[in-house]
Parts: sequence; C-alpha cells; structure tokens
Amino acid sequence: MDFSFTEEQKNKRQEFFKVCAELAKDRMRGFEGFESSYDTDEGWKYHLYCAKEFARRGWLSLAWPEEYGGSGNMMDRVLFAEARGYHGVPGVDVFGVQMLAPTILACGSEEIKREFLPKIATGEIQFCELWSEPNAGSDLASLTTTAIKQGNEYVINGQKIWTTGAHRAHWSFGVYKDDLGGKPHHNMVFLLFDMKTPGVTIRPIKYIHNMHIYNEVFLDNVRVPAKVVGQEHEGWAVVNTLAAFERSNIDDIMRMQRDIEHVVAYCNTTKQDGVPLARNPVIRNRLAKIAGEVEAARMLAYRVADLQNRGELTLMEAGAVKIFESELLERFASLMTDVLGPYGQVKMSRWSPMDGWWERIYQEHFVQSISMGTNEIQRNLIAWRGLELPRMK
Amino acid sequence: MDLRFTEEQEMLKTSAKDFLVAECPKSKVRELEEDKIGHSPELWKKMAELGWMGLIIPEQYQGMGMTFQDGMALIEEVGRNLLPEPFISTLVASFAILAAGSESQKQEFLPKISRGEIKVSLAYLEENGKYDVSGITIKAAPRGEDFILNGTKMFVEMAHIADYLVCAARTGDSAKPEDGITLFIIDAKSPGITTEIIPTIASDKLCEVKFDNVQIPKNNVLGEVNKGYQALKDALRKAAIVKSVESVGSMQACIDMTVAYMKERVQYGRPIGAFQALQHLIADAWIATQTARYLVYEAVWKESSGLPCDKEASMAKAYTNEAYKFVSKWGIRLHGGIGTSREHDMSLYYRRAKAADCAYGGTDFHNEIVARELGFQK
Ligand SMILES: Cc1cc2nc3c(=O)[nH]c(=O)nc-3n(C[C@H](O)[C@H](O)[C@H](O)COP(=O)(O)OP(=O)(O)OC[C@H]3O[C@@H](n4cnc5c(N)ncnc54)[C@H](O)[C@@H]3O)c2cc1C
Repeated sequence: MDFSFTEEQKNKRQEFFKVCAELAKDRMRGFEGFESSYDTDEGWKYHLYCAKEFARRGWLSLAWPEEYGGSGNMMDRVLFAEARGYHGVPGVDVFGVQMLAPTILACGSEEIKREFLPKIATGEIQFCELWSEPNAGSDLASLTTTAIKQGNEYVINGQKIWTTGAHRAHWSFGVYKDDLGGKPHHNMVFLLFDMKTPGVTIRPIKYIHNMHIYNEVFLDNVRVPAKVVGQEHEGWAVVNTLAAFERSNIDDIMRMQRDIEHVVAYCNTTKQDGVPLARNPVIRNRLAKIAGEVEAARMLAYRVADLQNRGELTLMEAGAVKIFESELLERFASLMTDVLGPYGQVKMSRWSPMDGWWERIYQEHFVQSISMGTNEIQRNLIAWRGLELPRMK
Repeated sequence: MDLRFTEEQEMLKTSAKDFLVAECPKSKVRELEEDKIGHSPELWKKMAELGWMGLIIPEQYQGMGMTFQDGMALIEEVGRNLLPEPFISTLVASFAILAAGSESQKQEFLPKISRGEIKVSLAYLEENGKYDVSGITIKAAPRGEDFILNGTKMFVEMAHIADYLVCAARTGDSAKPEDGITLFIIDAKSPGITTEIIPTIASDKLCEVKFDNVQIPKNNVLGEVNKGYQALKDALRKAAIVKSVESVGSMQACIDMTVAYMKERVQYGRPIGAFQALQHLIADAWIATQTARYLVYEAVWKESSGLPCDKEASMAKAYTNEAYKFVSKWGIRLHGGIGTSREHDMSLYYRRAKAADCAYGGTDFHNEIVARELGFQK
C-alpha cells in the first residue's frame, strides 16, 4: 500500500493548483464552487470563463480514454477536483463533464460520441439533468413523463423537478417512458435535447437560502431529434451507468480541507477578551475532531478513485463517501455557526465573519445529503448490496 | 404533581392557535419575512385587542395579570405557528421594566405595552458577540441632568420599528463585570440613534443600533444607576425560557408536518412512513421534542412559582437550542427535495431554529451557566 503521489502526479497536481489559484483571484466575494454559479449572471459568466481556461488545457476531458483526448487516468480527475475544491472555482459542468461524458463513453453510439464529446471537452455546451419528477424522486423508475417516438423524432410530455441549472444549461440529458405497455425497467429512453426547444418551460424553485439554482421543467409536446444514448426502451441501464459516475465528492472534501485552514487562521487571529479563540479548549477539541473526519473522508475518496481506476468501484464504497462527506459537512457547518456565536446566523454582509460562508453551508449541506440518491437510499444499498443483508419486501 | 395544562391554559392555547392560523398563515409569515419592514400593523392591532402584549402584565398596568406559566401556553402556539412580529422582544423588554422600573415608569410604559401602543426591544448584545455580562461595554456618561450614550448594540430585535429600547450600558468602572451596569429606557427616535437591519438566516430583522452622543434624561434610568445587572439577568433568564417554549412549539410543528407527509408521500408503492429506517429517525425527533418539552416546562413552572431556576432555565435553553436544530434538520431530510425549497414551511422552521439558538444565549453559553450552577469551580 502506498498513499504517495508519483512524480508525474505531483507535477500535475501542482499545475492544477496553480491555475485554480490564479482563477480564484477573479472570484466575487463570498462566491464559491459550482452550484452557486447558476444563481447570478456574473456567476455563470465566471463559470464559463473558468471552463474555457480548463478546456484549453484539455482538463475537461482528463479521465477520458486516450483516443478521445484524455489520459485515461481517474486519478488525474481527482487531483484536478482537489484543486478546484480547494480554491472554490467552478468551470467544470458536473452534469456534462463528470456524469454524461463517461456515460456516453461507456454506452453511447459512435455518432453520439462524435457529436457530443468534443462539445463537452471545449465547454461549449453545458448540461442539466432531467430525471426527478414530482412523484418520482427516490423511486425514479416510477416516472411518468413520456417520450413517444415519431419517425426520427421523439415527442415529450410531462414534468421534471429539481433540475439544477435548467435555466442556464444549453442541453439536457433525461430519462422518459418510451414504451407505455413495456416491462418495468425496459420501458424508458435516455435522451439528449436542446433546452431551447419549443414547449420547454422553466420555473425557478428557490432554495432554502433563496438562491435560484434549481427549477421545475414543464415539457409540453416537446419535439426533439432522436439523440438516444444506449438503446430505445433500455434507458434505465444508462441511468444506472450514469449514477455510478456521479460526483466522487473529492472537490467538496478538499473544500473542507481548505475550510479547516481558514478556520484555524480565523481562530488564531480572532480574540475574545484578549484571548484568541484558538485557545478555547472546546473549540480546539471539536475542530480537531472535524479535521480527523475530513482526513478520513479524503482517504475514502482516494480509495474510490483507486477502485474506479481499476474498474472495481462498488456502489457501497461510493455511497459511503457520499454519506460521510455530506453529513460531515453538516457537522462542520453546525459547529462553525456555533463557534461564531450570534454571528453564526449572519448572511454575507459587512457584519459577517468569513464572508457568511458558514451561514450558507449550514443550509447547503442538504444538497449533498438529498440529491444524487438520498443518504437513506445509499444506506439501503450499502446494507442490501454491499453487506448482503436480506431485503424486506 | 399534575403535568397537564389547566383548562384555562388549554383554552388560551386553542384560541391562540385558531387566531394564528386565521390571521397569520405561513404565507403571511413568509411575506413579512421577505418584506423590508417585516411588521404588520393590522396583525399587531388584532393581537393587542386580544390582550396578548399584556398577558402577564399585572392588571394594575392594564395587563391581563396572568401567570408566567399561562403566558407560556400562548408562546408555545406562537412557536408552533411562527409569528414574525416584535412580540417576544416587547415581552422581554416588559420583563425588564417590571423588574427594574420605578412605579411611575411602570405606570408610564406598561399600560401602553398592554394596549399594543408601543413596541419595545432589549438592546444588550454588542459587536463582541458575547452573551455574558462582560460583553456589555458601551458607556453612558453623566452630564448635568442627563446621560450621554455612545456605542453600538447588535442583534437588537426589530429595533427599526421599536418605539423604545431598553438598553444596558456601563456607567461605572468596576472589577466585577456585574457592577456598573445601568438599564435605560430610551426613545428610539432620539437624535443620534441610527438603526440598520442585519441580514440573517431567518430574515428576522435583527438590527445594529448606533448611539452617537444620545442624550438620555435621568428619568429614563430603569432602576438604580450601576445596579442594572440583577434586573437584566432576570429578564434574560425569562427570555431564555420564553425562547425555549417557543422552540418547543416549533419542534412540535415540525414533527406534525413531517409525520403527516410521511403518511401521504408514496415512493416504491408505499407511504415513505412505512420504511423502518425513516420511522426510527422520526421517533428520535419526537423523543428530542418530548424531552425538551418537559425540561422546558419544569423551568417555566419554577420561574412562574418564583423559585430560583438559573440552572433549569439554562439547561432548557441549551437543550432546546440543539433539539430544535436536530428536529428541523430531520424534518427537511425526511421531506426530501421539497423540504429544501424556500417556499416550504419546513425550511422556514429550519432557519428559525438557527435564529432561536442565537437568541438569548447559545448552547455553550448556557452550558457554562449550568456548569457553574452544578458547582464546578472556574
Ligand atoms: C438540491 C437538489 C438538487 C437536485 N438536482 C437534481 C437535478 O439536477 N436533476 C434531477 O433530476 N434531480 C435533482 N434532484 C432531485 C433528487 O434526486 C431527489 O430530490 C432525490 O432523489 C429524492 O427524491 P425526493 O425529493 O422526491 O424525495 P423522496 O424520494 O420522496 O424521499 C423522501 C424521504 O423518503 C426517504 N425514502 C424514500 N424511499 C426510501 C426507501 N426505500 N428507504 C428509506 N427511505 C426512503 C428519502 O430518503 C427521504 O428522506 C435534486 C434535489 C435536490 C434537493
């Protein structure tokens, strides 16, 4: 067992960190990471700018097989995500780059690959994910939005919900019923379409803290060309392939690593009664515990990358990182909003310590624990598939 | 021992509940939250007509003269429904006036509070963010017949619409932080006062209040000069209990809402409430609510009976701070995506839980009081 990076990895990592540090200089105050890019025009512009900077270095296609311009190494993607997380820069469309591209590589036709991979690699088109519906959340297979084939086209009718960034994305990937009489799990199609298509209506769902990131998407006789990933009627298999590529969470973990550094600096320099907060044994002790947990999360994420590299990743291992990371983020935010006393409730403003970061994370941690398969569903999978416990009917 | 509400208290609870459901639906709560001012004079007037502001103010000051315990029955409903009004701040300020005010001050202010004519807020926290008395540093210097107040108070509830502020300031130097504190009741429109709303998680209109050479007539000293500590401490202890009661009401609302949703929301062909993993989570949330409830009721009873209860009040506040955050967090988690929407009541409670935790003492502060009361030496 060897936890060290190779010389090559060290060099790459350094390069990733250098570029991200440079990009972070242009970041707006209190603006962090990918999802908040969707909220404001400036945020989105900045995201696209970072995307271009990454694309021109070939970093949006890092882990792709060599014939498609990548290095074929998952670890590169991890090192890059670490740098982005640490510096809080966006630029990587989680949906297109991290989820759809590997899915297309795994089960897309040559035609789909040729059409979409280059546009994802250049950052030219940004995607959103049209999966969840009002009555089909955890139980996604019960979805009812239909896509009925008519010649070379599909006509889509129904409603999707929680669509992250639908109001910014150029294209979507989604899953729809395409065979109304078909057998369960063999009656869906995985389709890509342009979000500007007539019949698509987008309505915002404001998040707890009032940012506009998520949306409802209404699909009313949306007529689209048949850009199918995988086979018709077999979209569910594609959904499962994609689910395995969802975030490794390493960027979020690195962000926490960086947060530890910020918090230590804050506690060292902020005095109460002339004594730095850092001397308060309660604060020291609790933060030390969190730091240990962040380290544990990071090692587990490396383990996931290592398994992924060898094509051995199990849902159990990926689920463990997702659950642990999201709940750790919640503990961290709870602790920090406590440490800040009455200032823990203050939004970014001239009064807020650390740019109101913890007030925001105190609300944003739900994004991690609820989306991409809730933590409860992940726990079920660990128990049923990983630990092979009997499943209650 | 009889751990039930009295019949009158039950009636008070029911009528308060009916009133709030009718007059202050959640849509109104949210509307006032997003509003710049965040106060509805019509709603305030109706509350005043019901006598809410004077509920525990003695009858001689035109209050209803109910016990502290009676009043808390109402506060629980306020917590269940969420009320975006300067109600609790005015209540807390009235505690201070009752505890420290001279007879003529009581005659001057309490009837107006009872009738809902004035809104009052307690200004005690400062930029240092400290909940304990050593955090009070701003100075009021005597000058002729007046005091001149300078400095900044923070997190003053709805100071932007308050008519008066009860403000704690230093008037004397002393080795002990408890000494040298004076309470003033200040006309909030006095020259030299500027107020700005601090943006907070619950948009609850906590304010920064700046005093720039504010002239306060000696008549507006509440109680004795340099001896304001005890009244402040008593008011803050009661405030901690009030906030805990309010939180218990809110926690119950979270439980009710979540249980109802778990019965109604179907995934995988059954109500999600049928999944044992979720049943255990909601059972834990219910236990947290129930433990908080009786811990808080004990403090209410002691306070209402005039028994010493620094320890119980702090235990109640420290425990409820955490319990409300815990229950509202699981409320969201069990709702899934819908719970994270700004429009959904669950997220409103979640944000309010953090605000409740910050009001009248955080968990560490109250646990420190508990530790002291237990006999731990410094
Ligand atoms: C911030 C955010 C962003 C999102 N972004 C997107 C997006 O871009 N695209 C998209 O398609 N979707 C998106 N989603 C939707 C997300 O995938 C769903 O919210 C999630 O799958 C849960 O579904 P639900 O909200 O309907 O909750 P439900 O499935 O109704 O779940 C409610 C509760 O029941 C629990 N539960 C359900 N089934 C079981 C079970 N079998 N055992 C135990 N517990 C169970 C859940 O864990 C949860 O606690 C997003 C959601 C959020 C909150």
